[in-house]
Amino acid sequence: MISLNALSKRYGDRLAVDDLTLDLKPGRVTGFLGPNGAGKSTTMRMVLGLDHPTSGTALVGGRPYRRLRDPLRAVGALLDARAAHPGRSGHAHLTALARSNGIPRRRVDEVLETVGLAGAPARKRAGTLSLGMSQRLGIAAALLGDPGVLMFDEPVNGLDPDGVRWVRGLMRALAGEGRTVFVSSHLMSEMQLTADHLVVIGRGRLIADAPLADVLAGSSLTGVLVRTPHAGDLAERLRADGMSVSRPGENELEVTGAPVERVGDLAHEAGIRLHELRAKEASLEQAYQELTAGSVEYGAGR
Amino acid sequence: MSARGLWQAAGAEWVKLWSVRSTWWCLAGALALTVLTSVTLAVDAATGALRDGTPGVRISAAEPVVSATSFVQFALVALAMLAITSEYASGGIRTTLAATPARGVVLAAKALVVGPVMLATGVLTGALTVAAVYAVLSLDVFGGFVVLPAGQVALDLLRTGVFYALVAVMTLGVGAATRSAAGTLTVVFLLLMGLPLMILMTGSQVLADLSLRMPTFAGLAFMGSARNITGGPMPYSPGEGLVWLLVWAAVAVAVGHAVLRRRDA
Repeated sequence: MISLNALSKRYGDRLAVDDLTLDLKPGRVTGFLGPNGAGKSTTMRMVLGLDHPTSGTALVGGRPYRRLRDPLRAVGALLDARAAHPGRSGHAHLTALARSNGIPRRRVDEVLETVGLAGAPARKRAGTLSLGMSQRLGIAAALLGDPGVLMFDEPVNGLDPDGVRWVRGLMRALAGEGRTVFVSSHLMSEMQLTADHLVVIGRGRLIADAPLADVLAGSSLTGVLVRTPHAGDLAERLRADGMSVSRPGENELEVTGAPVERVGDLAHEAGIRLHELRAKEASLEQAYQELTAGSVEYGAGR
Repeated sequence: MSARGLWQAAGAEWVKLWSVRSTWWCLAGALALTVLTSVTLAVDAATGALRDGTPGVRISAAEPVVSATSFVQFALVALAMLAITSEYASGGIRTTLAATPARGVVLAAKALVVGPVMLATGVLTGALTVAAVYAVLSLDVFGGFVVLPAGQVALDLLRTGVFYALVAVMTLGVGAATRSAAGTLTVVFLLLMGLPLMILMTGSQVLADLSLRMPTFAGLAFMGSARNITGGPMPYSPGEGLVWLLVWAAVAVAVGHAVLRRRDA
């Protein structure tokens, strides 16, 4: 488990991470979302002890990362897929990492097998690998120590659709094994399929820390669509029950603030005939846009 | 700093050192440079002795190897430099520090690998070169001045290796402090060649004494070179030369360590 407690990082007069407090729990995939420059990578680097927090703490299993013995056995991280020495083979890169943490040599071949780089690709110099293969090598490095916590910064960058699906399956499987999985991504549609829980930050501040379902339900675009010849009567009835109702067409209503079942029940009680009743769920993309509308760091044309 | 952690980190550095081609190029360069420079210096000394006709001249086959260190050291500086600056260039330093979060252990592990490799390189390339020098100077045309005093040669080669090891460790410290190949090369070149030569040109005695205690000349003193670069005698003993070398290496490593600890990776 990872615990951030009032974690802050200041670069000059800019607060890159501002008073971040949250717990990342095992057994689920936590998506880490935020606009470019929101502080996602900085947060991950502070968890790994690479950057020094200006204030606050980041703990892994209750201890600072730097206090961990053989940290790769506790936390595996993919920060930058291109971080391997371009002249060194993937196999040698992983062998060196394994040596540094007392990890048995056979794990190198195992993780290369897992990420699909076993054999010839693992002997190629890292600089000659495609971006997608580099991502796989970085993921192999993260898996090397069989850690309970995994952090991936933009793991699907450069992967083809098969690779994206593979990463999604891997994340779900790792969380299914009871590990803590923390993934940042720009791809909302991908996150919607992968994450159980979301942490959203903007300008370094925490905007949301909630289950994916709650984030989607909280969007103004999530609601109930009703088509009925008695739209006026039903609207009155629903408003009386505290829902907010708009009337985009003569026979149409859009209702927010209640699940579809409740709308149906109220219509039934009032004896109002319905021609259509359906739930409309916002996409994560839409929910995310609403959440971060006020905090886009490098927004274009706003 | 746990001994186990250091041992593991050194193991990783060992794998890293031998898994890039640049290491082999630097070592090959060092060998070629040692042989070429030493044989040239030896031939020059022998023809000079022939011309002067001074009786009783003897040239130790190891003497040109010691003189050659002033040039050869740069091939080995490159090797030591790449052991750390290539990680900053590729971003691999983050991977390294995530695997070994104690910054001091990372630097110590690099020194623990690069130092002994340099020592071995000095001894082995030196031994090969001594053989080459001896073979060349044994030719009749060079007057047969060459001698091979085994004990002295062995000591010279060992000292050559120690000199290279300490220069390499100093380079690692500078690399950790500057984090770039360009910065490291600049600083190390100034320390080894640029500054001492510039200072000697000023003609000030105090500054000249200082420059003779910078690594290249301290190394020559340590390796038993009788004369300094100006042709005058070395103003201090081989033992003091070693002390100065150790001081330079220690200061560079201390500065590198301080930067590595304080700055974000």
